[in-house]
Amino acid sequence: MTDRGSETETPRTIAPATPEFRVQQADDVIITHEDIDRAHDRERVWATRQQHGMRSRLRLLWLLIGPGVLVMLGENDGPSMLSYAATGARFGIGFFVPFVVLTFLMACVVQEMTVRLGAATHRGHAELIFDRFGPFWGWFSVADLALGNFLTLITEFIAIRAGLGFFGIPPWISVLGALAVLFVALMTHRYWTWERISLGAAAFNLLFVPVALLSHPHWGNIGRSLLTWKPLPGGITPDTVLILLADIGATVTPWMLFFQQSAIADKGLTTRDIRYGRLDTVLGAALATLAALATIVATAPLFIHHMSAANFEAAEFAEALLPFVGQWGAALFALGIFEAGMVAAVTISTSSAYAFGEVAHRPHSLNLPFRQGKSFYLVLLLEAAAAAALVLIPGIPLVYIVLLVNVIAVLAMPPALLFLYMLVNDREIMGGLVSPLWANTLALGVVLVLIGAGILFGISVIAPKALAVLGGT
Amino acid sequence: MEAKFNSDAPRREDLATVITSLEPDQLSVAKAKHHCPRRHLTGPEMIVFWALRIYLVFMLGVVLYQIWKGAR
Repeated sequence: MTDRGSETETPRTIAPATPEFRVQQADDVIITHEDIDRAHDRERVWATRQQHGMRSRLRLLWLLIGPGVLVMLGENDGPSMLSYAATGARFGIGFFVPFVVLTFLMACVVQEMTVRLGAATHRGHAELIFDRFGPFWGWFSVADLALGNFLTLITEFIAIRAGLGFFGIPPWISVLGALAVLFVALMTHRYWTWERISLGAAAFNLLFVPVALLSHPHWGNIGRSLLTWKPLPGGITPDTVLILLADIGATVTPWMLFFQQSAIADKGLTTRDIRYGRLDTVLGAALATLAALATIVATAPLFIHHMSAANFEAAEFAEALLPFVGQWGAALFALGIFEAGMVAAVTISTSSAYAFGEVAHRPHSLNLPFRQGKSFYLVLLLEAAAAAALVLIPGIPLVYIVLLVNVIAVLAMPPALLFLYMLVNDREIMGGLVSPLWANTLALGVVLVLIGAGILFGISVIAPKALAVLGGT
Repeated sequence: MEAKFNSDAPRREDLATVITSLEPDQLSVAKAKHHCPRRHLTGPEMIVFWALRIYLVFMLGVVLYQIWKGAR
């Protein structure tokens, strides 16, 4: 399979321009609006490939980046930023700084597989699982995704509410405003436009960097922690294990697999684009790591000044940081939390809609006009609206939901990774693009780390005293 | 295989672009029509699938237990 593969095939006859174009090939093929939009995007890629020099390579990168950056910055979502903030506030600069870098490396290993899978098959993740493993396992996989996505979406609206709450905006205005932004981004009916709007919004994830700088970090301590993985105040305790799990859940989650593969298929990436798809993923991971580390660094003063952050939610973190980063720093932090929730609400609801369309065999593309993709857009909007409505119910235990989300994400990852691992090693669909030994070794390493973290979490809940064996208190 | 075209008057150039720019299996109708064949799962693969499923159900139970403990 090559880009502009038709060049090597029998030329097709172009039919007269009618509402339904039919191309006489081996059999009748109907070309849809979705195909035309995607083809225009691919044409630009093809035209850029014909040029030479650094400028054209940079343009090619600009045209092909998107799913990787979006998935990584999208995963720096409300609960994730809250986890990083709690990490900095409870443990300061130490073990968790290199640990977060490690979790993003794990995310790169996992997401690279979805790049190859999407480019080689042009199919979404849910569709491939259903086709290859049958509906029994397919429904298990989609049920895991649906539950995780819905719970995560609730936390995104919690973040949106809390972030804007810092500026005195009432919850219902924040939530309705976020739904309106989501709706407007979708109504472009064009994958490319949607992707660029989302990328623009995702760039605001880096708001945490100036907040970190305003906290006047001790660079020597940061460098030392990266080299030594120390200190870990208190050792391995149930609290440490919970943060450990939350930080893993902040970087590798099932929705990321479904989203990136489906987005790659929707964007129209082919096997020739895999190198750029990998660059896209690494670039996204680098930006997301930067924002995550900045959040830990920004909240580290709370640890240094022994301020308890056990019950902090997003807006409380911003308020607690006021003495250390000033009004501007706290405002940027709150804005960052809002952005994290907003971008993730867009990407996560999109991943649900893609998965629904793929398993229900309904049209599923952001290139679809509303009339053709009614079910796709409705699933997306209704899921977001339901999550948003729940956040507005007074007295709902929001803290428990936030806690649940990252933990469930980590626990659901090993089964999701098994499907990915088997698909990416399936020569029948991947041909020569199956994973090499080194990639499989890394992927199995990630699975073992995730299962190990899950078991450690189980021990910390059922028999917390057993953690003393690991040097805890 | 009914795919209604939404645009009022799609241009002939658009069609040419589709033909030259997309791989045949990227066409939405081709994707809807042709699916990857089902693969046979071996015994060891089934064991791993079930083991991870049981692991997930058990661990979700642990999460619920923790929530219950926290709520008390």
